[in-house]
Amino acid sequence: MIVNGILVDDTYAEAFAMKATRIIITADSLTWAKHAANAAFGFATSVIACGCEAGIEQELAPEATPDGRPGVAGLLFAVSTKELAKQLERRVGQCILTCPSTAVFAGCQGEESLPLGKNLRYFGDGWQVSKLVAGRRYWRIPVMDGEFLAEESTGLMRSVGGGNFLVLARSRGQALAACAAAAAAIARVPGAIAPFPGGVVRSGSKVGSKYKALPASTNDAYCPTLRGVARTALSPEVEAVLEIVIDAVTDADMRVAMRAGMDAVLAVGAAGGIVRLSAGNYGGKLGQFHYPLREILA
Amino acid sequence: MSATILTLRAGSAGRIDMSGVLPETTAGRSPAQIAAMTVRLDGQAVPLGELFEVGPDVGEALLIRAEAARLDCLGRDMTGGTLRVQGPAGHYAGQGMRGGELVITGDAGDFAASGMRGGLLRVHGNAGDWLGAALIGERTGMAGGVVAVAGDVGARLGDRMRRGLVLVRGRAGNACGARMLAGTLVVAGGCGDLAGFALRRGSLILGRAPDRLPATFNDAGVADLTWLGLLQRHAQGILPDVVPGSGRMRRHMGDLAFGGKGEVLVPE
Repeated sequence: MIVNGILVDDTYAEAFAMKATRIIITADSLTWAKHAANAAFGFATSVIACGCEAGIEQELAPEATPDGRPGVAGLLFAVSTKELAKQLERRVGQCILTCPSTAVFAGCQGEESLPLGKNLRYFGDGWQVSKLVAGRRYWRIPVMDGEFLAEESTGLMRSVGGGNFLVLARSRGQALAACAAAAAAIARVPGAIAPFPGGVVRSGSKVGSKYKALPASTNDAYCPTLRGVARTALSPEVEAVLEIVIDAVTDADMRVAMRAGMDAVLAVGAAGGIVRLSAGNYGGKLGQFHYPLREILA
Repeated sequence: MSATILTLRAGSAGRIDMSGVLPETTAGRSPAQIAAMTVRLDGQAVPLGELFEVGPDVGEALLIRAEAARLDCLGRDMTGGTLRVQGPAGHYAGQGMRGGELVITGDAGDFAASGMRGGLLRVHGNAGDWLGAALIGERTGMAGGVVAVAGDVGARLGDRMRRGLVLVRGRAGNACGARMLAGTLVVAGGCGDLAGFALRRGSLILGRAPDRLPATFNDAGVADLTWLGLLQRHAQGILPDVVPGSGRMRRHMGDLAFGGKGEVLVPE
């Protein structure tokens, strides 16, 4: 399959079931809501060492937030409910509670819930106040700029993490420009995030390593500087490979996000230096979700 | 929605206890079956059909037409559906209510919403004393649900209230929020003396500052309270423009003789 001069490999991305939640952060201004979100969702690129993967899903106008202030919706993904709860509490406690003027609310409901302000309320040292509004419980925690308002809990969602595609280009600059366009397109898709810096990854990995302690190591088949010494997946004109990794609330969201990202790359075309689109998988044995590139683009 | 219509017959006298006459008990019954239901007239059991014209239509909702405030316990222990009272209600309207919507187009008597646990009670006119309060001898008053009063309310609004939300567009009488345990009262028109007396927790939000508060309240200054934005949005769909549009309020904390964790909020 060749689109706009770009070869789309007959392969698939392999993704995994994850646990996720959505939270809404509001503040006196969008700037401060984003300060809180960027802190809370920072260092959340990969579950391998960050505990969770997280990012801003979308900016919200005051009409779309519970308290009528500007805000952002963010998604957090983890491999287990326990880990997600731990990461959520730490990140809300250290990054949102601490940020001036913010409040935090559940962005989803589910049969299962995760503590949001439920335990953080004890920071109020006995002065915290509970409020039930429209059947949902909130905690008012006194802080030095007034009160931090936190909904007691948020919902737990069963979701998909690790959808991906690889962009192979004639130069790093051209790969980066195409991937930036892809990340921007994915950012407009509700229910999906690209958790890596700027939405782009350069350090794709393979399973295993020559070092026994490492579960994963550099994807040498896609490293252009190892051509000639390692088995390569790159043709001679490819100088750089970048990857887009996507986490999504549902399988459908993942397909929409992958399609949006790949369309953005394909629009750049061979004229923009893009040679191939491919995807990362583990032979189909590890992940429950498969996303064939050609099927998604059809 | 189709409704069963009960119209109070002219010429009868005495107070009528309407306990048990609810949308959930009349739905699915024929007019004859509904007329055979029992109510109490001055304590004596009588068939409902002797006091009310039933129908001719029947439906899921219930509409009760009354010219005088003689019907007590309207919507008592109601769990769902819609009960509309065209005219004034007597005492104890919505007592022990757990769900559904009770609408009173006229005034409500005393002790409306006492022991209420859920649902929505709307009063288009005024409400009497002890709205949402504990009955004499009861430990707690209203413990959930929402009450919206378009007019004024009497004294002891929310006395010993445990949970829930009361919205009042008009004024409240004396001892508004007295002995409240928790919950939220919003009174747009202000209130009389002794507001929040013996308040333990809970919020009393006044559209107008009272002339004086009990001496056991301390001024905690002015603050921008985010949760008021939340409350305002919720209340806007029930009784618009009662919760102040701005979250900037002066906070008085008290009653310090009873723990001091309650608050009276007044506009700055």
